[in-house]
Amino acid sequence: MIEKAHQFFNTKISAAPLVSFRLIFGALMVFSAIRFMYLGWIEDHFTEPLFHFKYYGFSWVKSASRFTLYAIHMLMILSAIGIMFLQGIAYRIAAVVLFLTFTYTELIDLTYYLNHYYFVSLICFLLIFMPSYVSPFSNLKNTQIKRSSIFILKAQIAILYVYAGLAKINYEWLIEALPLKIWLPANDNIFLLGPLFAWKYSPYIFSWAGMLYDTFIVLFLVYTPTRVWAYLTVILFHSLTGILFQIGVFPLVMIGIASIFFSDAWHVKLVRFFVKEKAPVPKQNSPSSNYTLFNYLILGYLVFQVLFPWRYVLYPGNLFWTEEGYRFSWRVMLMEKAGTATFYVKDNKTGREGIVNNTEFLNPHQEKQMAMQPDMILQFAHFLGQYYESKGMHKPSVRAEVYVTLNARPSRLLIDPNVDLMKEKDSFKPKNWLIHYKD
Amino acid sequence: MKKGLFYIIISTLIFTSCKRDKDIKNQDNFDREAMLKNYAEELIIPAYEELNLSIQGLLNSINSFESNITLQNLNNVKLEWQKTYSVWITANAFNIGPASEQGLNKSLNEEIATFPISESKIQSAVETGNLNFNDFNRDARGFLALEYILFNGPNTSEDSVLNLFTIQTNRTLFLKQCAQNIQTRVARVLSEWQTTYKNEFIARNGTDVGSSTSQLYNEFVKSFETIKNLKIELPLGKRPGQIQIEPKLVEAYYSGLSLDFLKIHIQNIERIYLGQNKNGQDGLGFKDYLETVTNGKELVVSTLKQWENVNNTLNKIPTNAPLSEIIRNNSEPVEDLRIELQKHTRFFKSDMSSLLGIAITYSSGDGD
Repeated sequence: MIEKAHQFFNTKISAAPLVSFRLIFGALMVFSAIRFMYLGWIEDHFTEPLFHFKYYGFSWVKSASRFTLYAIHMLMILSAIGIMFLQGIAYRIAAVVLFLTFTYTELIDLTYYLNHYYFVSLICFLLIFMPSYVSPFSNLKNTQIKRSSIFILKAQIAILYVYAGLAKINYEWLIEALPLKIWLPANDNIFLLGPLFAWKYSPYIFSWAGMLYDTFIVLFLVYTPTRVWAYLTVILFHSLTGILFQIGVFPLVMIGIASIFFSDAWHVKLVRFFVKEKAPVPKQNSPSSNYTLFNYLILGYLVFQVLFPWRYVLYPGNLFWTEEGYRFSWRVMLMEKAGTATFYVKDNKTGREGIVNNTEFLNPHQEKQMAMQPDMILQFAHFLGQYYESKGMHKPSVRAEVYVTLNARPSRLLIDPNVDLMKEKDSFKPKNWLIHYKD
Repeated sequence: MKKGLFYIIISTLIFTSCKRDKDIKNQDNFDREAMLKNYAEELIIPAYEELNLSIQGLLNSINSFESNITLQNLNNVKLEWQKTYSVWITANAFNIGPASEQGLNKSLNEEIATFPISESKIQSAVETGNLNFNDFNRDARGFLALEYILFNGPNTSEDSVLNLFTIQTNRTLFLKQCAQNIQTRVARVLSEWQTTYKNEFIARNGTDVGSSTSQLYNEFVKSFETIKNLKIELPLGKRPGQIQIEPKLVEAYYSGLSLDFLKIHIQNIERIYLGQNKNGQDGLGFKDYLETVTNGKELVVSTLKQWENVNNTLNKIPTNAPLSEIIRNNSEPVEDLRIELQKHTRFFKSDMSSLLGIAITYSSGDGD
C-alpha cells in the first residue's frame, strides 16, 4: 500500500504543466504586485496607519519604511519573473525570495487577510520544493518530473474549492440565500446583467450554483471529457464574481491557476507560444531515497491542510458570529457582517472613563474589519490601553461596546461590554468574553 | 454528456429549492437613480444655492459695516453670519465631488468650518495684517474664525467688540477677506454642481465604492458622527486623557449659539435619512431604499424609534443659557443626549450599509 503510494508519487510525468504553471503564476504575481503599488496600497495599507493588527504568533513582524516596502515589492516582482524563467539553484532562490517577500507583506496587517492571499502564500511555499531543473527553455517533450509535484499543486487547489463549497452548505446560504439576497440586488445597475441580479430568484440560483460549483468543479476539471466545459464554467463563474464583488485580481488568479488541469500537450503549446526552446534535455535527478522523505512531507502537509479548517468544531457557538477558527479555512464571501465598536478607556486612579474616536488611530478599512472580529477588537483594546498609559493614564482598563449585524439581522452585542479587555489575552482557547448568538 | 447531467442536476435543485421556500421576499426594484436625483435636486443643490445667496448677504453687510463702523451694522453682520452658518450646516454632509478632498484642498467642511479655531493664529493675523486663507491653517479661517472675529467671546460686550474693530484696522479686513474666501470656495462647488457634476452624480448609480450612494452615505455617517464625537464628547471631556469638562470646545463657543446650530445639524441628518427637502417635502432617501431590502423595514422602525429618543433628549437641554454654560453648570442633559446618540450610532454606521450592501472601502474584500 505504502509502496504503491510512493510509486504513484514517483511516477515520471511531463514537466510541461509545471513549467506553464510557473509562467502563469509568476505573471499574475508580477501583475498583482504592480497593481498593488499603482493603487497606492503600500501607503494606504502599510505606511499611513498608526497601528497594525497582527496575526496570532506573528506580532514580531513589523511594517517597514515606504522605501523598504517599495524595494520589497520590486524584489517580489523580480523573483516572480525568476520563478517563471530560471532553473537550478537560481530558481530555488527566486522561489524562496518570492515566498518570503509576499508572505511578509501579508503578515504586516491582519486587516487585509484574504483567503486568496493565504492561498497565494501557500502556492509560493510549495513552489520552493518543485523540481528546479526545468524551465520554459527546456525541451518539454522529453523532460519529466515526478508526479508528486503536480499532484500537490492540484490537491491544494482542490482543497480550496471543495472546502469553499462545503462551507456554503448551511441553512442560511442555501435556504435563505443570504448574503446573496443582500449583495445581488445591490448590483442591479450593472450593464446587461443588472436585471438578472435584481430578479428575486437569482440569489437562490446563485447560492446553489456557487455551492455546487465550488464543491464539484475540480472533479469535472480532472475528468478529461468534461474538462473544457468545466474550464469554461471556471471562466464564467470567476468573471461573474469579479463583476459583482470587489475582489481585485483573484478571479484572474483562479482562472489562470485552474489551467493546471489541462493536458500535457496543451501546456507544451502554451509554453511554446511564449518561449522558444533553447536548452537541450536537462540532466534529471534520478529517483533517490530523498523522494521517500519528500513524499511523507507532502502527505503531512496535506493532512494539515485537510484537518486545520475543521478546528472550528472545537469551539462553542456560532462560527460566523464568533469567528473562532474562521480564517485559513477557505470560507470565502460567506456572510455579510458589519459592526460598530466603541471603546471606553478608564483611568484606574481617577476613575474617569473616556470614549475613543477610532478614526484617530485606524483607517476606515481597519475600523470596519476590527469592529466585527473579536481577536482584532482585543488587539485594538490592548493598543489603546498601552497608548493611553504612555500618555499618563494610570493602569487603564479598556472595555468595548460592539454591536454587530450578521446577514441583515438586527445588530446585537458581540462581546461583554463590561469586561476589561486589558485582562484578556488572545490564544487558541475559546474566548469567554464573547456573547454567543442565540436565536 | 456528464456536463449536461451536471446542469440538469443544478437546475432541478434550484427549481425545487425555490418552490419549497415560501418565504421569498419580494425584492421591489428600488430606483437608486431617482433617489440620487432627489438628493441632488431637492437637498444638495438647493443647500449650496441658498448658501451662496446667504454669503452674498453676509458680504453686503460686511461692506456696509466697513464703510460705517457702528453697533447696528456690526449686529447686522452677526445676524447675517448666524443665518449663513445655519445654512452651511444643511450642506455640511455633502463633501463629495467638487466639495471632496482634491489636491491640496481638504473637504469643503474642513476648509470652511473647522473648529475649535486657533485664537492665537487669528490674533496674530489681525495684528500683523498677514492674511492668508489658502494655507494649511484651517483653524484660522472659515465660518468659525468669522465668529471669533465678530463675537470675541460669550462674555465680551458688543461695545468692546466694536471697539476692537476701531482699534484693529486689520480686523475688518480679516472679516471681509475671510468671508470672500468662503464665497470663492462655495461658488466653485455650486457651479460644478450646476454644470457637470449633477449628471455625473446621478449617473454613478451603483453601490460600489466610487458610487454616489456610497460616497453620500459615507459623508452622511461622518456628519452624524461629528455631532457626538466632536460637538458633544469633546466639551463634555469624554475623550480619554481629558481630565475635566472643556466647555470652550463646543461648536460656536464665541457666539453662544451652539445649541441652535446643534439642533439644525441633527434635524438635517434626519432630513438626509428621509430624503426630505427643506420645505418638508418627502422624496426618495436612504429610508425608502432601506424599506425595499431584506429586513430593511425592521431596521427603519428601530432607527426611527431611537431617533425619537435622540430628539427627546435634545429638546430637554435647557435653552436659557449657552451650551458651554449648561455643560459647565450641569452637564447631565447633554450627557443624556450623548448616550442616546451613542445608542443610535450602529443603526446609521454599520447596520444600514450592511443591509444595503454598500461598499465603503476601496481595498479588496474576501472573495472567490
